[in-house]
Amino acid sequence: MTVIPAVSLCDIRKKFGHLEVLKGVSFDAKEGDVISILGSSGSGKSTMLRCINMLEVPTSGTVSIHGEQIATRVKNGSTVPANSRQVDRIRSDVAMVFQSFNLWSHMTILQNVIEAPIHVQNRPRKECIAEAEALLEKVGIADKRGAYPSELSGGQQQRAAIARALAQKPKVLLFDEPTSALDPELVGEVLTVMRALANEGRTMLVVTHEMGFAREVSDRILFLHKGQIEVDGRPDEIFTKGMNAQFDQFTSRVH
Amino acid sequence: MIDYLKLFGTGPDGWGDDLAIGAAITIAVAIVGFFLGAVFGSLVAWARLAGNLPLRLFGEGYTTVLRGIPDLLVIYLFYFGGSAALGAIMGLFGNQGFVALPSFAVGAAAIGVVSAAYQAEVFRASFTALSKGEMEAARAAGMHKWLMFRRIIVPQLLRHAIPGLGNVWLLVVKESALVSVTGLAELMRTTQLAAGSTRLPFDFYLAGALIYLAITIFSTLLFAQAERRSRRGFREAMR
Amino acid sequence: MSLPFIWDTFVALLAGVPVTLQLTIISVLTGMVLALILAVLRLSPSKLTRFLVSTYVFAFRGSPMLVQIFLIYYGLGQFKATLQDLHLWFWFRDPYFCVLLALSLNTAAYGCEIIRGGLQSVPAQQVEAGRACGMSGLLLFRRITLPIAARNIVPIYGNEIILMVKGTALASTVTIMEITGIAAKLISETYRAFEVFAAAGAIYLLINFFLMRLIGLVEHAMSPHLRHTQGPSEPVEAIVTTH
Repeated sequence: MTVIPAVSLCDIRKKFGHLEVLKGVSFDAKEGDVISILGSSGSGKSTMLRCINMLEVPTSGTVSIHGEQIATRVKNGSTVPANSRQVDRIRSDVAMVFQSFNLWSHMTILQNVIEAPIHVQNRPRKECIAEAEALLEKVGIADKRGAYPSELSGGQQQRAAIARALAQKPKVLLFDEPTSALDPELVGEVLTVMRALANEGRTMLVVTHEMGFAREVSDRILFLHKGQIEVDGRPDEIFTKGMNAQFDQFTSRVH
Repeated sequence: MIDYLKLFGTGPDGWGDDLAIGAAITIAVAIVGFFLGAVFGSLVAWARLAGNLPLRLFGEGYTTVLRGIPDLLVIYLFYFGGSAALGAIMGLFGNQGFVALPSFAVGAAAIGVVSAAYQAEVFRASFTALSKGEMEAARAAGMHKWLMFRRIIVPQLLRHAIPGLGNVWLLVVKESALVSVTGLAELMRTTQLAAGSTRLPFDFYLAGALIYLAITIFSTLLFAQAERRSRRGFREAMR
Repeated sequence: MSLPFIWDTFVALLAGVPVTLQLTIISVLTGMVLALILAVLRLSPSKLTRFLVSTYVFAFRGSPMLVQIFLIYYGLGQFKATLQDLHLWFWFRDPYFCVLLALSLNTAAYGCEIIRGGLQSVPAQQVEAGRACGMSGLLLFRRITLPIAARNIVPIYGNEIILMVKGTALASTVTIMEITGIAAKLISETYRAFEVFAAAGAIYLLINFFLMRLIGLVEHAMSPHLRHTQGPSEPVEAIVTTH
């Protein structure tokens, strides 16, 4: 009996004008997988991640979340989602953490965390607040619930963003270079939270430069080069030298 | 020696109460004009941002024309033009001669039309200043367009727009003085009448100027307060 | 809507153009000189001086220009006897002089703030760099601060000039026959407000068009170092300064 993958990408191609950023990318992520996505700039890794929740719409290829394929159609020469309700619904189940946190600046941390559960998922306010408090406690910034994003450090803001993502009770968590915009000394606190989430058995897809995290926490590593997946395997397998020329170059440069 | 207390008092010879009423009418016509301008201005801003080519051209043309033509000319247009149009309609019913439009309506409409051009620019600039990242986060959380507009875009738009709108408001208050040419008994016209009647133009025009300045001070304080409240989360970010 | 009528109106209104332009140019130039003086005084160490200048600026920016014109033209008539004794009545009874005075004082207030803003917007790092290579005082101001400030000031002052063109329309309220004055007369005679408005509006827009072109040329000539890049967009507040 085949297990339905949590995320399934099938031959995804993405063109920006004349530039083809993704040249046929396919993989399946099982539920509970923690997948790190590595690659140099321009390799298409962020684009691929953003295709999963349709922040970028693939020029061709299909994206399926828990077996449900996201419908697209061609309009005026470009591909767009066919059913915006479906996209909104799926986005509600697939939460994203951004490189620049993107907390809503006119709301307090608590308000940020309860926003989607109340207004998108229509859950009762009391329940959402209680959960939000618990989540803020979990990521370690419970005392900042009444503060505004601009009053927090980068690390605190990112942890708040993670709490906001978790509040959606998502089936899949997407992380787009979550620590790249942080000062080095703040990276650790965010990675700690992410490690804890991984240990809970969540399905996580993480675009990152943090090799340590990739090696130690992920079940699987995808390495993208020039729009294609060059390497796809378990950390203990792929970090042996000689597997793939580009990957070796990449790892030697990063370290 | 002129008895200033009597002159500016509320007695039968005193102009104090008339000036107060004039000031009230000034503020009233300014408020109505400002809101008309806000409604129309947001439509024009929307046309410039989200419309197709003819709409965008209309929006741009509107803001260029109305910011480039003297307000006095617009008021003349509304007053005489409006009256002429009304006179033509009344003429169908057998009425001859000049039919004057209610000056409050004319004044507010003219103010609205001109301030709409400025407010449209304020709204447009505020919209382009919105944080793309935050809107992306809203989409990623599954918000549909109307929800995102209501919960994320509008609050942030207001935050960016308040300083500019404060300036437009002051502009509107000063423009309201021009509405005096229609005969509306707002502050300017009242001051004029008092000056002519008492042969003390300096005293009364100075008084008028001081009252306008008082309105300006009060408005500025109000808007500064509004700005502070809307910026609650951003004081740090401004450094 | 008769085109021959609009054309005739247009021609009739052209008679007001020289008056409009005269009023604009004289008041802008006078105002600019006054604005420079005020801007310098604004930086004075004396608290009293600074306060007086701020009050002046506030008074003229916070009250309608119409009141300012009436205050000078009609208001000073209250002191006719005193002015006659000072041999100044000849000037103050002339509407043209009074309007020029009012417009100049008004634009000086706005100009002062524009110049002050321009000077303050000079990046501190550039001034620091000047200091670091040994410049100071007048040399620093002349070679670094003023040129950089001037480039910031030109577009905003250009906007102010366009606003002054609109301001000259108020001269019509004291019998001066510039464009709006003639337009008002034509409207009250013919009751064809739309056509007259269209013609008068067109003339003002043409004047603005040429003014903006002129200012653009001055900006371009002053900024060879910016010619390859896109300029910054106007701050939201600057879009809405007016009288």
